[in-house]
Amino acid sequence: MKKFVVKRLLISIVLLFFVSMIIYGIMRCMPASFVETKAMELSQKPGAKSYDEWLAQLNASYGLDDSIVKGYLTWASKAVRGQFGDSWNYNQPVLQKFSSVIWYSFALGLAAFLLEIIIAIPAGVAAAKKQYSLTDYSITVIALIGISLPSFFFATILKWIFAIKLNWLDLYGIVGRMHQQMSPAGQILDMAKHMIMPVATLTIVNIGALMRYTRTNMLEVLNSDYIRTARAKGLPEKKVINHHAFRNILIPIITLLGGTLPSLFGGALLTETLFQIPGIGYTSYQCIVLGDIPFVMFYMLFSAVLILTGNLIADILYAVVDPRVRVN
Amino acid sequence: MANEENTKADTMKLDDTQRVKVLSPSALVLKRFFRNKLAIVGMVIIIAMFLFAFVGGMVIPYGQSQVFYTTEEMKKDYAGATYINDYMMYEDKEAEVPGDLYSKAILAITKKQSVVETRNGGSLALRPLTGDSYLVYGADETKNPRAMKSAEHKAAVESGENYFEYDGTAYMVDSATGKELLYNVTEMAVICKLSFTPYNPDIAFSYEFYKNALLAMSGGGKDFEADGAAYTLGMEGEEAAMVYAADGSDYAYISNMNINSVVGGVNLAPDFKEMVAYAIREGKDSFEYTDAAGETDTYLLSEKTGQYLISRNQETRVIDTYSSPSKEHWLGTDANGMDLLARLMYGGRISLLIGFVVVIIEVIIGVIVGGTAGYFGGWVDNILMRVVDVIYCIPSMPLYLILGSIMDHYRASPTVRIYMLCVVMSIIGWVGIARIVRGQILSLREQEFMVAAEALGISVGRRIFKHLIPNVVPQLIVFATMGLGDVILAEAALSFLGLGIKYPAASWGSIINAVNDSYVMTNYLFVWVPAGFLILLTVLAFNFIGDGLRDAFDPKMKR
Repeated sequence: MKKFVVKRLLISIVLLFFVSMIIYGIMRCMPASFVETKAMELSQKPGAKSYDEWLAQLNASYGLDDSIVKGYLTWASKAVRGQFGDSWNYNQPVLQKFSSVIWYSFALGLAAFLLEIIIAIPAGVAAAKKQYSLTDYSITVIALIGISLPSFFFATILKWIFAIKLNWLDLYGIVGRMHQQMSPAGQILDMAKHMIMPVATLTIVNIGALMRYTRTNMLEVLNSDYIRTARAKGLPEKKVINHHAFRNILIPIITLLGGTLPSLFGGALLTETLFQIPGIGYTSYQCIVLGDIPFVMFYMLFSAVLILTGNLIADILYAVVDPRVRVN
Repeated sequence: MANEENTKADTMKLDDTQRVKVLSPSALVLKRFFRNKLAIVGMVIIIAMFLFAFVGGMVIPYGQSQVFYTTEEMKKDYAGATYINDYMMYEDKEAEVPGDLYSKAILAITKKQSVVETRNGGSLALRPLTGDSYLVYGADETKNPRAMKSAEHKAAVESGENYFEYDGTAYMVDSATGKELLYNVTEMAVICKLSFTPYNPDIAFSYEFYKNALLAMSGGGKDFEADGAAYTLGMEGEEAAMVYAADGSDYAYISNMNINSVVGGVNLAPDFKEMVAYAIREGKDSFEYTDAAGETDTYLLSEKTGQYLISRNQETRVIDTYSSPSKEHWLGTDANGMDLLARLMYGGRISLLIGFVVVIIEVIIGVIVGGTAGYFGGWVDNILMRVVDVIYCIPSMPLYLILGSIMDHYRASPTVRIYMLCVVMSIIGWVGIARIVRGQILSLREQEFMVAAEALGISVGRRIFKHLIPNVVPQLIVFATMGLGDVILAEAALSFLGLGIKYPAASWGSIINAVNDSYVMTNYLFVWVPAGFLILLTVLAFNFIGDGLRDAFDPKMKR
């Protein structure tokens, strides 16, 4: 087990090396004038260094004046030591900006994640219990609609109903206009209120996959011999489902959910942008549009790390939860 | 008929092959597929979408970037009217007039003197008429006791006038110095706050006309003569009058207002001015006027600090933006005045085409890489799968956004953007297919039929593509169908953010992009709702079909 984890970690590091190289290569495709305009902009601020100085500094700090390989090595040697430079857009260290916005994303992701679990798993079990019943069909259709729903369209509908027609919620943002004047508890409630629509969007859009996954696994379990045995013993159906069947679908579900845990930090780029929640997704979106290379590099790398971690966790959990895998 | 079948059945033996209807595996799959109601619904939707996008685009008479115009009633300023504040002077061309006549006369009026001296030593005498009109005379002081004692003088003084005629000579009296002085006067000019508008632009008014018209207005008389012609005055209020020629036709319009057109190249007719003056006098805020061409318009009058503005509603040609659904435009028009239905159809073409192109490229790359890795195993598998892992790790949405903004910077044309989008999405997307194919082939490789194929000496390429790949096709088809929906969703999201398909090319995502303007989101539902539902329906239909196909290929999951 330990050997397996160490091996996977080493592979992950190699992968990360190549991923960051590709990302760096793409970022280098960004027209050089981004740096030039940025240097021009920075030099025009009162009390700033001259244009040439800025240009040289920006180029040097990202190795843009070297060849791609050499430039990458320069960047990578700094990144390994945790130096990701200053965000051009926010004028502060990338890591500082990151730590100030990540918790919005985490709160949003966690709320949606919990809601998904609470709704999707019982619904999936209910659908599998009576295959081809009306419940099954409607849950399948709802799950498929959730998968097929463009999040921006659903978000717009939510906004139109709740923000414009009913006027219950605000269109954009994480805080209301009177946020500063509120008590600490009121401030938290205000933020929670602004999270309602983003969480709803994220939940609806993501819920379908988990629902279907639960249903498929439940169906498989219900077809197995030990369920037939349990029923033959004369156990009540409730006990068969809740004790014998449900425990067994936990293996694949925990594996899947464990794998998605890291992505809670990844932020939902589209949803955050739609509602202008100042999380990591929206921040990165703005940086991408404005060509803030240091921040985007960091965000892409961070996302890659999250994906790798997710895979690793899923594999480890698979072995932990299911003893049969460990034997092999 | 029924009999015939019965006899046929009777003749069949129990083990007759025709007795059992044998279906090929693919026919079985098809049969199972068509039993799935959801899959059929999906098929119907997809066929409808294709008809809508490809046939509809041909049928609809509009192009995707055709701009429509409409005429709109717009309030436009037509003329302005102000009360005349400055004195207008009309000189007698025959009289010798001192250079400072006007300034001296104004000075006299403001000082309320009736006699002033001019620069050249002469004197001017003012004879007030009603309102702010004056007759200006050149004056010579004279002594004529007979005239001073005449009945005409007495009558003038009693009626408060300073002008009288005696014995064929014109005199004026002035008692400003305390002593009544007599002046011998000659006509020089009239000063008034009135404007004279001729009915016929060729008419130039003479001094005599001005003088006699003013005298007639002042005396309240109706008729006057000038230059040997007789005119009749029709008073309209205190300060405006209509002058009719002897034959009763309109001749001129006199008014205390300056009314000028604010539109270039338009000369206002006197009867229009008359209507304006009338409307102002009556305090109306609108009036109707029929112009020379016989067109009747309603004019609106508004007043602001003594200035009157006459405006009218005029038809103007404007781009038909956000027009509501109508007979011509079933779904209305968008911000650029383009027909939304046509754009939805052309946008559907692009969305569907991108979906298919991307998925086809993905399948080709995925099958080749996955097949090779799975078949050869060992270090080939290791290397190829690490490549897959690397690409799998690259976050796709930020990558698309970066490429979109790079293309923005290079101002890529809409067509180039579409190609680039296809290429990038397939380069990112093929890894999922490669993994599936590899996994399947790894297990298939060990089966007996592959050993047999190897023993028969079939070439490697044939073994992979003839014997292994066909066994992966079911999973491939299911994955590709579901993948179509994902690609369409991703393209729509990109276009929605403004980094995918760009104007003037349309895609469903870029049509919904309009909601970034909250005003459009609130007021023009017809702009964004249809496009959203089209995306939803299409993706949903692909998922229904994929679901149905999975069930059909894998009957063990059922029952």
